[in-house]
Amino acid sequence: MTKRYGDRVAVSDISFEVARGEVVGFLGPNGAGKSTTLRMLTGYLAPSEGEVRIAGIDAQKAPTEVKRRIGYMPEAVPLYLEMRVSEYLAFRARLKGVPRSEIAKNVDRALELAHVADVKTRIIGQLSKGYRQRVGLADALVADPPLLILDEPTAGLDPNQIRQVRELVRTLAREKTVLLSTHILPEVEAICGRVLIIDQGRLVSSGKPEELRTAGGGVASITLEARADAERLTALLAGVPSLRGTPVLTPLAKDGGVRVRVEVSAQELDQTAERIFRAVADAGIDLRELRRADLSLEDVFARLTTHDVASEAHAPQASTEAS
Amino acid sequence: MSAALAIARREIFTYFVSPIAYVVTVVWLVWCGLQFYLLTGVFASAPSLSASSNPLSAFFGGSVLFFIPLLVFAPVLTMRLLAEERASGTLEPLLTAPITTASVVVGKYLAALVFWVALWVPTLMYVWITSQFGRIDGGAVIASYLGVLGIGLYYMAIGLAMSALAKNQIVAALLTFMVLAGLFALGLLSFLDTFAAYRDAIDYLSLWGHMQSFSKGIVDTRFVVFDVSLAALFVYLAWRALDGRSTP
Repeated sequence: MTKRYGDRVAVSDISFEVARGEVVGFLGPNGAGKSTTLRMLTGYLAPSEGEVRIAGIDAQKAPTEVKRRIGYMPEAVPLYLEMRVSEYLAFRARLKGVPRSEIAKNVDRALELAHVADVKTRIIGQLSKGYRQRVGLADALVADPPLLILDEPTAGLDPNQIRQVRELVRTLAREKTVLLSTHILPEVEAICGRVLIIDQGRLVSSGKPEELRTAGGGVASITLEARADAERLTALLAGVPSLRGTPVLTPLAKDGGVRVRVEVSAQELDQTAERIFRAVADAGIDLRELRRADLSLEDVFARLTTHDVASEAHAPQASTEAS
Repeated sequence: MSAALAIARREIFTYFVSPIAYVVTVVWLVWCGLQFYLLTGVFASAPSLSASSNPLSAFFGGSVLFFIPLLVFAPVLTMRLLAEERASGTLEPLLTAPITTASVVVGKYLAALVFWVALWVPTLMYVWITSQFGRIDGGAVIASYLGVLGIGLYYMAIGLAMSALAKNQIVAALLTFMVLAGLFALGLLSFLDTFAAYRDAIDYLSLWGHMQSFSKGIVDTRFVVFDVSLAALFVYLAWRALDGRSTP
């Protein structure tokens, strides 16, 4: 799909498929074109070029049929603020063609699933952001559609609510296909089976979260902490093979200790950690922490979407494939 | 159709929980009351007038000035219909529901017609009062209300179309006011001799000619055709405006 507004290209030739039962995360910085893409999928905007097919149905030709299969929660969750929660959900259920006799049952189910049953008689305008967000989620669920499209479902929630929403998405994922957008990385790692990274209207990467990590160039890191002289430690580490770049040392104020982070080759992560331990222990220094870490998705994301380093990001990717 | 009714119901609910409904109704009723009071006074002091007319027919067809507040109230009734959905973002969940844009427009239009009727229902009181003190012509009363409904058909349609085009309520209200005032001003041209040749045509547009005919108990089908076609045109416009938003 492509979406143009006048001369500005908001989404440029994005193409992807989501299989039944998948949970796919749509990841990108703000303004990357996530919402525009989701709006084209849900039929709110028509693509300038390209087509949308949901369950094999062409969205241009049979928009109502397509919309019937989607539970959509728009970004910022616009709601009718003067209505009560249960009234709103009943209204939405009716619009979505839920038979009259089943509306009450569906509303109750959605209230339970989205954890908003306790505020069902409250006026939406008086609810906190967190509750409104979940009312939006209940709306997406009320007609029990097979596909959920959620635009930033955890934006504006507190950590407890975020955990609840993630658990809900995981539960729903057992029987539904979920496509959600976010700019929060741990979210993707926590719930998505596949990630699509979008930047400046283009799809820059796609794959499982763990595959994307290696797209960072096969780099991992080791962090250690000990009470020792910084220079001595640097000298010791210099003797350890397979380190990449220079170690970053952070002196600790409390007892003259030092914290060191080094980047290492991902393939030799374990051996390098053992070597570091041996070198430091042989020197009579007591380690109090030694931790291995894969390159976080955060780092990958930054490499893929920070524009001045975009060209550099491709070089290590190529070297990984070669090795 | 079920969706259109659900939308109309929600719209009516929202209107009647907002203070706007009550402000408009109160101001309108005070204005109508004053008008009716003055007319009754005039008829009481000049019994000869009663031979050809009565306070009710004068109320409905007596003075074109009577309708001036409607030029302001009609936009207030219709301004939020679609513009508010657009401004607050609720248009997105509405249009991504499995319903057609036509049913959205029809639902909103039905709601606007209910607002219009609600404005007029309290005036039935004057019919009752007049009937207590003299004979009223039932046919003329029914025709008068048909005339009022006819005006409502296209006033509300124009308001709906402007609300579909505008970014927010204020712009919608202003646009509606401008269109209605334009039509109203066109109607006034029939009082100028320069336009005598076009008087017949102008009288169609004029509320004045419109209501004079209906208040006498004459249901002139030409006016009905005019009202209905203008209403259909603007409802269609509203639909195109809303639909065009999602086509490339």
